[in-house]
Amino acid sequence: MRGFKRAGSMITVRMSDYETALLESLVDQLLGLLEAEGEVDPGSSDPFERWQAEMSSDDPLDRSDPVITRLFPDAYPDNPVASMEFRRLTQAKQRTDRQRQAEVVLSALADSEAGKHRVQIRLIDLDDWLKTLTAIRLSLAVRLGINTVDDLEDLDVLPDDDPRAYVYRVYEWIAYLSESLLSLD
Amino acid sequence: MSRPIEAGLVNWVTLVWDDPVNLMSYVTHVFSTYFGYPVEKATELMLQVHNQGKAVVSSGTREQMEIDVDAMHSYGLWATMEPG
Repeated sequence: MRGFKRAGSMITVRMSDYETALLESLVDQLLGLLEAEGEVDPGSSDPFERWQAEMSSDDPLDRSDPVITRLFPDAYPDNPVASMEFRRLTQAKQRTDRQRQAEVVLSALADSEAGKHRVQIRLIDLDDWLKTLTAIRLSLAVRLGINTVDDLEDLDVLPDDDPRAYVYRVYEWIAYLSESLLSLD
Repeated sequence: MSRPIEAGLVNWVTLVWDDPVNLMSYVTHVFSTYFGYPVEKATELMLQVHNQGKAVVSSGTREQMEIDVDAMHSYGLWATMEPG
C-alpha cells in the first residue's frame, strides 16, 4: 500500500488485493463482534421495536469479552448501576453507528475491485474510517494483551514464528493507515 | 427516568484516560474535531493524557457530560465522568 493522495474532498490510496482482503476481513470481524443473537434489531425503522431494544434490560453484547468492555467502557467507573443505565441509553445507537461506519469502509474497499482501482475515501467519511480503524486496533490490542507501553516493547521483539507476530504486524499496519490518513487531514 | 432536581446544577467533568493503543495524532484530532478546540489546546490536552495518565477534557451538566463521554467512546477513547 502506498501513495496516499488528497485532491480536494477526496483521499485516495492504492492498496493491493491482499491488503484489501485483509482489511475487509478485519472489518467483517468487527461487525461480527457488534452483532448479538436473538435480540430486537436496535437499528430497526420501527419505533416500537427500537423502544423495545432500548428498554430491554439484558445487555445484548457479551460483556465477558474484554474487547466489548474496551469498545463500550463504563462511563461511571465506581457506579455499575449508573454505567448500566448509561449503556441502556447509548449502546444501541453506538452499535448502529459503528455498523454504518464499518459499511462505509467496506463499500469503499468493494469499489476498488480488489486493488484494481485506488481506494477512494471522501473527506466527509474520514472519521468513519478513523473510528473503524481505531476499533479494529483496540480489538487487536486486547487479543495481543496490550495493556501498557511495556507490552508493546515485548511485541516488538517477538520471533517471526510466534503466532502473535503476524497479528502485531497487522496492528502496526492499521496504525500506519490511520497515521497516513491523519497526516492528510 | 428521573434524576434529582439539582442534577443540572452540579458540575460534572469528562475524563479521558491514557491507553497504549490510541495514536497521539488521533487523540489530538478527536479533541479538535469533536470539541472544536484549537490545535494548540487539543495537543496540550492530548499530552496531558499521555504524560499524566488522564485529563479533564470538558465540564458541564451531567447530561452534557454523558453526551461527551458517549462521543469519546464512539472514537474509541477511554472516557469516564465524575462530579467535578
